[in-house]
Amino acid sequence: MFIELLTRLRFFIARKTHREVDEELQFHLEQQTQANIAAGMPPQEARRQAAIAFGGVEHAREECREQRPGYFVETLLQDIRYAMRGFRRNPVFTITVVLTLMLGIGSTTAVFSIVDRILFRSLPYARADRLVSLGMVHSVETQEFLMGNFYYDWRDNQKPFEAMTSEQTGTHECDLTEGKPAQLSCESVEGNFLSVLGVSPVLGRNFQPEEARLGGPNVALISYGLWLTYSNLDPGILNKTIEIDGGPVRVVGVLPRDFEMPRLQAVDVLFPIALDEAADRTANGGYGRPRRAFARLKSGVSIQQAQAELQPLFQDDLKLVPSELRYDFHLKVRSLRERQMQDARLTAWVLLGAVFAVLLIACANVASLLMARGATRGRELAVRSALGASRTRLARQALTEALLLSFAGAIAGCALAEGLLHLFIAIGPASIPYLNQTALDLRIIGFIVFLSITCGGLFGLAPALQKPNREALNGRLLTLVSHATVRQWLVVAQIAASMVLLTGATLLLRSFRNLQNQHLGMRDDSTLTVSVTLGEHNYPTTQSEMTFFQQLERRLQFGSGVSLVATTDSLPPVSDHDKTRYDLIEVSGRPPSNRETGAVVTYRLISPNYFRVLDIPIVRGKGFSDEELTSSEHFIVLSQLLASLLFPGKNAVGERLRFGSNPSDAWCTVVGVAANVRNGGLTGEEEPEYYALRRNRAEDWDRGGTWGRTSVVMVRSALPPQEMSRWIRSQVAALDPTLPVDIATLRQRVSKLADRPRFQTTLVGFFATTGLVLAVIGLYGVISFLVAQRTQEIGVRIALGASRGNVLRLVMGKSLRLIVWGALIGLLSALAVSRVLSSLLFSIGPHDPTTFALVTLLLVLVALAATLIPARSATKVDPIVALRCD
Amino acid sequence: MAPTTDLLQGTLDLLILKTLALESMHGWGIALRIQQISKDALQIGQGSLYPALHRLEYKGWISADWGASENNRRAKFYSLTRTGKKQLEAELEDWDRLTAAIALVLKQV
Repeated sequence: MFIELLTRLRFFIARKTHREVDEELQFHLEQQTQANIAAGMPPQEARRQAAIAFGGVEHAREECREQRPGYFVETLLQDIRYAMRGFRRNPVFTITVVLTLMLGIGSTTAVFSIVDRILFRSLPYARADRLVSLGMVHSVETQEFLMGNFYYDWRDNQKPFEAMTSEQTGTHECDLTEGKPAQLSCESVEGNFLSVLGVSPVLGRNFQPEEARLGGPNVALISYGLWLTYSNLDPGILNKTIEIDGGPVRVVGVLPRDFEMPRLQAVDVLFPIALDEAADRTANGGYGRPRRAFARLKSGVSIQQAQAELQPLFQDDLKLVPSELRYDFHLKVRSLRERQMQDARLTAWVLLGAVFAVLLIACANVASLLMARGATRGRELAVRSALGASRTRLARQALTEALLLSFAGAIAGCALAEGLLHLFIAIGPASIPYLNQTALDLRIIGFIVFLSITCGGLFGLAPALQKPNREALNGRLLTLVSHATVRQWLVVAQIAASMVLLTGATLLLRSFRNLQNQHLGMRDDSTLTVSVTLGEHNYPTTQSEMTFFQQLERRLQFGSGVSLVATTDSLPPVSDHDKTRYDLIEVSGRPPSNRETGAVVTYRLISPNYFRVLDIPIVRGKGFSDEELTSSEHFIVLSQLLASLLFPGKNAVGERLRFGSNPSDAWCTVVGVAANVRNGGLTGEEEPEYYALRRNRAEDWDRGGTWGRTSVVMVRSALPPQEMSRWIRSQVAALDPTLPVDIATLRQRVSKLADRPRFQTTLVGFFATTGLVLAVIGLYGVISFLVAQRTQEIGVRIALGASRGNVLRLVMGKSLRLIVWGALIGLLSALAVSRVLSSLLFSIGPHDPTTFALVTLLLVLVALAATLIPARSATKVDPIVALRCD
Repeated sequence: MAPTTDLLQGTLDLLILKTLALESMHGWGIALRIQQISKDALQIGQGSLYPALHRLEYKGWISADWGASENNRRAKFYSLTRTGKKQLEAELEDWDRLTAAIALVLKQV
């Protein structure tokens, strides 16, 4: 092997000369001739027979040369040089191809970078595809959870999983109470949490069993980020004690840099859940504390099987749920990726689909351009073939050209992708996971190279397969006419693909406009919202929470330029607010009803100014007054929707109701009815809602839910928001400098909800435009090619008396046929494909006739306009020039 | 004239190596020898002999030197190298195995 390599290297450096080979072959022929003469042939016949026996001398010589090591590289270099000369001679062609490829490859790569993380890349856990999230869901909590009691039962009796683990729900704000105090995110997880996920700490160790027991030592794992900010990656952090929420905690390990919680929430400190299981089973009304549960599937068990096997356990535990609520509970087992990405996956698939359509159009364009070039080069190819170039040699030349072009396109595409990615991240919504971490990485560069080679192979093959036509040698134009059938079909495909893209984009655009123009039911201008979450350590009681927000409200009230201030625990139209069941509502004087509507009622705890700041009209009764703040009674305001559900056709004001039938649920008096407000997100259904007055009593600040410690102060002011928010920040800092404050105008918060639709619409719109432009270029190219080929024929027609109209009709008719075919196929595919979009659309159907009509019209008009240019040039053909050109 | 047989793919190399195992020879000589020994049953395309010779030379199995032919003309003589000898043995073994196997099958069926 080694010797063989050495020999090859020797011959690569010291080549045989042509003369050497010639001499050798010549010797053979002479030798044979001599032999023939000796056998008695006349000299001439002897030479003839020798030549016959030998075969083609030139061919043998060529073949000998082809054996030479380095022959491949040599011809490759030759091909490249030749291709470059060709490109320089025809810059318009070259630039069009490279730009088309740049658009195709660039946008594909940028989108692939974004969706890679969402759809394909494995999560940062060992064998992440075997991890699932499981639990129960109901109409108020649609993300799976398990009550502690149920969790223990499932964990001990399940069969489909290797192991189960869980994290605690509830508040995760905690405070670093040493050095420079700061609010941190703390999570409590079961002791086996990391081992089930398959994560090991970069430093130190995992929790030990005795640490996950009640009364065990106070230990924690910290995040890589905290390790960096707290001790600058000093390994001495191990076994050091840090003070969290006023208590000492020993650091036993550091989490990997790419660690993330299965639900993607931020985490700085990871505590082991130290619970007495028996005690937890009886806590929280006999249900145990709620958990988020995760599990690792046994090998060979599918998610559906796991779901089926859990069903008996679920049914058992359901018996503990009050019978009137059982219908509303469901078992849910889904892959961790699905849990994380939620509905971002649909957006990702739609973007990927759109961008692949663009890539296909681009590839078709390049193929078509190369084929046109191949057709006009028929003569050149015929000459080369006549001079002895083999079919493979010609094919290699064509392939080299295509690959060169696609590499140039890939490099340009890389640059474009980088730019597009920045743009996408800038306009991208926060609800698409990982978007801000996306970058072009090695995998994606690999993807580009793969793409360009596939592209190159795809359209390099087409011209290479065309058989060189010997008749082209005589150079008569007539024999060169090709009908470009493949190219015509490519154009039809392009038109069809851009039709699909355009339909999708238009549907999304119209849906987005519906979203923007809808009535919110409140004003959202000149209002700043200040969201503050209080940590449990510094604000242990609801009393301290109340005091903080009252102080803050008072400070903000007297600021210059501030006209109104109100406090609430949540804001419409964001759907992150507390909910209760409609079926639980009990009206005073009516027997408890056994409704099973499953409907959900939104509620908010607000201060009296809430309706005034948001300009929500009170349609009946009155809003809350300051006197009621100190009352011992509970007051509520119903939304019109809830009032009409509970008291159809009657006046709700003065009625009393409560939200649960336990004696502890207080009776509330309805003081007014407020107009409806969009409260289910921008796209969701409007939900019935009630507002409870947050009185100056600590009990009203106890919300118990997961969002319990966050409140929002709304400030109406005519001053510029930047100036205002600076001032507000200083006011919060004056009360507590460690608190993180989230300030945004109300309009910003509302518009943020439209981020995802805006993102989708912009991107798909961009791709549709790109696709349309490319398809039109393709159509234009083919039609002008056909016109150029038929110049002579058109000249004859004009000479024989054809009018301009006749010629125009001739050309346009051809083009119209392509357009109609393309539009027809496109229309059918769009009808099939647009159904995928239906869940992304807002108050517009996926088969909206206006959209389809509009898109068809637009496409046909643009396409006809593109063919008008070559068609007009056809009418201007001078018959004399055309007839003489041969 | 005996009926001629087309050469099996890849056997040309083996024939060349075997022919050169006896003595070094020039191209024409090799062609002649193969024809004679096979009693004209194997007609090798003389033109295709040379690419094969060059290929083997590039592989280092045979080496080429200029020398004087029988009638005192400058000719290129090929001879087997050490690697070539090893290669020949290996290929002969392969060939035996192959023909034995085929013969076995033909007899059985």
